[in-house]
Amino acid sequence: MANTVIGSSIVIDGEISGDEDLVIQGTVKGKISLKESLFVDSSGVVEADIETQNVEVSGKVTGNINASDKVELKSDCRVIGDIKAPRILIADGASFKGNVDMDVKER
Amino acid sequence: MANPKDTSSSSGDNTVIGPSIVINGKLSGDEDLTVRGRLEGELSLTKTLIVEPSGVVKANVDVKNAVISGAVVGNVDAAESVELTKEGRMIGDIRSPRVILVDGASLRGRIDMGEVKGERSEKGARPARAVRAVPVPARPAVRIAGKSKLEGKPPPPPPPSGSRSGAPVPPLVAAGSRRRVVVKKKAR
Repeated sequence: MANTVIGSSIVIDGEISGDEDLVIQGTVKGKISLKESLFVDSSGVVEADIETQNVEVSGKVTGNINASDKVELKSDCRVIGDIKAPRILIADGASFKGNVDMDVKER
Repeated sequence: MANPKDTSSSSGDNTVIGPSIVINGKLSGDEDLTVRGRLEGELSLTKTLIVEPSGVVKANVDVKNAVISGAVVGNVDAAESVELTKEGRMIGDIRSPRVILVDGASLRGRIDMGEVKGERSEKGARPARAVRAVPVPARPAVRIAGKSKLEGKPPPPPPPSGSRSGAPVPPLVAAGSRRRVVVKKKAR
């Protein structure tokens, strides 16, 4: 289980890239690009442009999200930015401000 | 491979940077951090940094404790201790009151254990610096071979035969051996 966790007291200012799932409970500013899934836990704060396959947000995200598969905004999340993905799920209770673009051709 | 050797205190939060992750920039925090991937830039923690054998850190590191089994390029400044395990490789300077180099670890750089109190009166010969820069040849591998007890003899004896390269063994530990460089000999 190759799993990367950025713990709740961690602050990263810069770029994160990789080929595995990433769980963010802390703060990340800058840029995130992954080939797998990104999970922003409820304590997580992301101020970054995100480029991944899947994103699941329960925390706070400020920045543009570009997912090749799916973006899921959970009920207590707060997201500001544009989302571009073929599948976008927004749960009841989520707050979101930005553009949605689902016009992405399937790969 | 998930081996939960949980050294963290009370709360279970522990940050892990997985083997395929690359972080470029500044990282700071108040919890233990395990690096199995790559981290470049700047790193400051109030707890322990663990660099696993697959981990690569190219950064100036400011932590409380550091346990290095992977590769570190950069200066490490630790409030408490730095341990280079037998797989640890490091290029850069270490500043910490306790420095532990295990047999097999390689290091190119300088070690500063801070103020060295009292103890130097009996050996007059050595001026201030506890440990001085190590003029190592290209391949680092500062092997600390023996216990190096060269006490009191003004002309240093011929280099101990334990070290592998032909280069003269730098007086790295010899000078400070009465202090807190702990040289663990692995028995195997």
